[in-house]
Amino acid sequence: MAVDDLDMVIEDGSFITLLGPSGCGKTTTLRMIAGLETPTEGIITIDGKVVFSSEEQIDISPAKRDIGFLFQNYALWPHMTVYQNIAFGLENLKWDKEAVKTRVEELLKMLRITEFAGRYPAELSGGQQQRVAIARTLATKPKVLLMDEPLSNLDAKLRMEMRTELKRLHLETQSTFVYVTHDQLEAMTLSTRICLLNKGVLQQYDGPLGVYNYPTNRFVADFVGNPTINLIPFEVVSSQGKAIRVSNADMAFTFNAKTALNLKVADKVTIGVRPEFIAVDGQSTFKASVYSSLPSGMETIIRLRIGESFLNSVVFGSLDFPVGTGLGINLTGDKIMLFSNEGNILGSGSVSAIA
Amino acid sequence: MGLVFKNAVEKGIDVIMDMRYRLKGFLRKPHNVILLVVFIVLCYLTLVPMVTMVRDTFLVHTAEAKRLKLPANSYTLLHWKKVLVEASSLNVFYKPFLNSLATSLGACLIAIVFGGSFAWFITRTNMRWKGLLSSLCIFPYIMPSWTLALAWYNLFKNSLVGGAPGLISAIIGVETPNWLAYGPIPIALVTGLHYAPFAYIMIGGILRNMDANLEEAALMLNTSRFRIMYRITVPIVIPAVMSTFLLVFSSAMSSFAVPTFLGLPVRYQVLTTQLYRTLNGLNPGQGYAIALLMIILGVSILALNQKVVGLRKNYTTVTGKSSNIAMVNLKKMRTPTSIIIAAILLCVSILPLVSFAVESLILHPGDYSLGNFTTQFWFGTAAQNSMANSEPGMLRNPKLYSSLWNSLKLSIVCAVSAGTVGFLAGYAIVRGRGSKLADYVNNLAFFPYLMPSMAFSAIYLSMFAVQRGPIPPLYGTFALLVLAGTVKYLPFASRSGINAMFQLSKEIEEAGLILGVGWFKRMTRLVIPIQKSSFISGYLLPFTSCMRELSLFILLMTPNNQVLTTLLYYYNEKGWNQYSNGINLLIVLIVISINFIVNKVTGASIDKGIGG
Repeated sequence: MAVDDLDMVIEDGSFITLLGPSGCGKTTTLRMIAGLETPTEGIITIDGKVVFSSEEQIDISPAKRDIGFLFQNYALWPHMTVYQNIAFGLENLKWDKEAVKTRVEELLKMLRITEFAGRYPAELSGGQQQRVAIARTLATKPKVLLMDEPLSNLDAKLRMEMRTELKRLHLETQSTFVYVTHDQLEAMTLSTRICLLNKGVLQQYDGPLGVYNYPTNRFVADFVGNPTINLIPFEVVSSQGKAIRVSNADMAFTFNAKTALNLKVADKVTIGVRPEFIAVDGQSTFKASVYSSLPSGMETIIRLRIGESFLNSVVFGSLDFPVGTGLGINLTGDKIMLFSNEGNILGSGSVSAIA
Repeated sequence: MGLVFKNAVEKGIDVIMDMRYRLKGFLRKPHNVILLVVFIVLCYLTLVPMVTMVRDTFLVHTAEAKRLKLPANSYTLLHWKKVLVEASSLNVFYKPFLNSLATSLGACLIAIVFGGSFAWFITRTNMRWKGLLSSLCIFPYIMPSWTLALAWYNLFKNSLVGGAPGLISAIIGVETPNWLAYGPIPIALVTGLHYAPFAYIMIGGILRNMDANLEEAALMLNTSRFRIMYRITVPIVIPAVMSTFLLVFSSAMSSFAVPTFLGLPVRYQVLTTQLYRTLNGLNPGQGYAIALLMIILGVSILALNQKVVGLRKNYTTVTGKSSNIAMVNLKKMRTPTSIIIAAILLCVSILPLVSFAVESLILHPGDYSLGNFTTQFWFGTAAQNSMANSEPGMLRNPKLYSSLWNSLKLSIVCAVSAGTVGFLAGYAIVRGRGSKLADYVNNLAFFPYLMPSMAFSAIYLSMFAVQRGPIPPLYGTFALLVLAGTVKYLPFASRSGINAMFQLSKEIEEAGLILGVGWFKRMTRLVIPIQKSSFISGYLLPFTSCMRELSLFILLMTPNNQVLTTLLYYYNEKGWNQYSNGINLLIVLIVISINFIVNKVTGASIDKGIGG
């Protein structure tokens, strides 16, 4: 099953992202909203109007759903010029020539591709083709704009530029954007809400910071965030109200949950710590050695070794550490997460008494 | 009790409503509608003839009733016995079968060796005149297969057939040996050369699109060129070679004209010549049995092909990422190699045309002295041609012009109908990919290719000799020819349509769909213009095939309703060499010119249709 029991509401004017690894069902979901694929069962409504219902046997064709679709490979028509590509949809709606011209020029200006109006797609660069595709999709002023990994074919620098463009367009057009991507950074920076999918099942539907700081399970915690979260397996030594003592071969500490948890001794759990919450300071008695150090100018990613365990830490500032250096480390803040053996979130809190 | 009944009725209504809903959804997609229509029509036009033919192998036909001393239209196993188990079967079936196999395998070998090597030279070395030679290479396929046969005959015939010796005998003064002039060797050679362009297109296609990185990786590991060839290049090319082999084998098995010209002088029978003898004569039952066996063989070959190669899922022809692999530098051998290859190609393409021209201008056969040349067979009046039964010279001959007009009319109409249906079928098959219906239509559309042309036309003749539903009897009409031609060439047209659609991503159409563009507009404004050259190639291939088709029409012609190819056969039977050679030349020139014009104007060509 490509998508299983998906239930969500997309608010007007929001920018939501369908995020997940390859094969998780995000493109399928997008195409179902568009009407390019038919769901087996369920209801889809757009702007209050039912566009699909398996019960009442309604299935409105994509053309009548008032949506726009941006394809991953742009799907520009190679035998038409940029102007003709954008105008085609409007001509089909029987707009008169003057109206078409005005609208096309408006879009060319909005996307800053006016000088390419007479060119063919093959004569344009990837970024320019992308903008033509966006212009073509926006031409008919659809209420909902669906985008299937539109930036994945662009190089890194261009991708950054286009992200800001898209965010700006979202504000200008005031349409609802539904965006598919496997790039968690894109999802985090662009959306108002992220819908995370894995193997066809919805994992979490929340704003970016909610997904980042309060993931519902291990998968979400692992998928979002760069560098990835540290997930360390532990066994429960003792559990008294909010204080849970955990230990494994290399570390032991007390996890101070925000609410009381009833765990049993010898329960298997996972602690999730984001790299920015592993502080490196000389004072801590808890020692680790540097396995590798990756400075990128603004921040440095350090891989720390404790016994047989490895942790990733991020420190800001232009620091570098020779391999093998011994460092004292500390787990800071109160956004450290505790997951059950099955992967569900049990609670978040702080850590103390590390040994 | 009443409640149970009510529940059952409600459930029944639910099921029906659900089916109606599903049917509505199914029919909303244009490609499903096309698939359904094509499926029904093709079932009627391919499966019904098949079934009729199977039935006819057990039937006593009116023509045979007296001879067999059995009532007409009764059932019998006699035909099968005569073909498979009696003493006469050796000559009726087994010997011709072995002969067909031998010549077809030989033809495959020659086609692949010639076509494949040429492909390798063009794509992997720096030989000269690549552009010119690769266009010349297509010639043997555009020309009718028996063009080469006739040319060979002209060159190598000896006094065995009576009449005058051929050109070679005349030049070197010694009689050419029989094994060189007639029989399996020239048949295999000529058929093989005719299909060599097939091999060139298919193998060359793979070689050209092969990612150079594959060979370069081996080069980096210090592998010798030879090893690269046989451990990397050849295995990658094998699927194309297999496809070519199977395609050429099927075609060679059904060829009729070549074995007729080159085999009959020494009584070398193949399955197709046997077919003609039996179907045209007093043994139609045996003929159908032989035809059925040929079809079974063809289907097995197709199944083998599917298994080995499979329906290619990924058919992107241009990835645009591979760089040009360093060509083999022929250095000093560059010019000599190019000259040799050019010479071979010229022999195969241009020389036959020269020989036809020469033969059509000779008054007394065999006498190649200058004094013997005349233009009377071209321009002369009836009176001047008393030796040819007062047949007017070709360019003054009303028969020629009416046959020419018939050929053109027939080819154009067949091309339009086969091409259109083929394109629509190809579109529907690719869009409906994965569904069972698309699979069935795909196989059905290819089926006519496996039926020997002669058996095919015989069945159509008998099927449509009487009224069938709304269709009136079609005996002797132009419509029957069109029907037979359209169904026969549908396989090529649909292959071409499938190839064209495979290259087009479905998103191009979906982008239009979302903007509310209707199906017809999507096809005419988006799909067809983008794939213009492949689209037109789908029409060019049936046109070319039809212009040079003999075995399909030979049973369907009436004396007053000839096409150029049957007219040629008629003159050949009469022994009027000059006319048959002249017409041959005309056919070739017409077909080549039209191909050239279409190519220049639209960029379409045969190789885009075959799918290299």
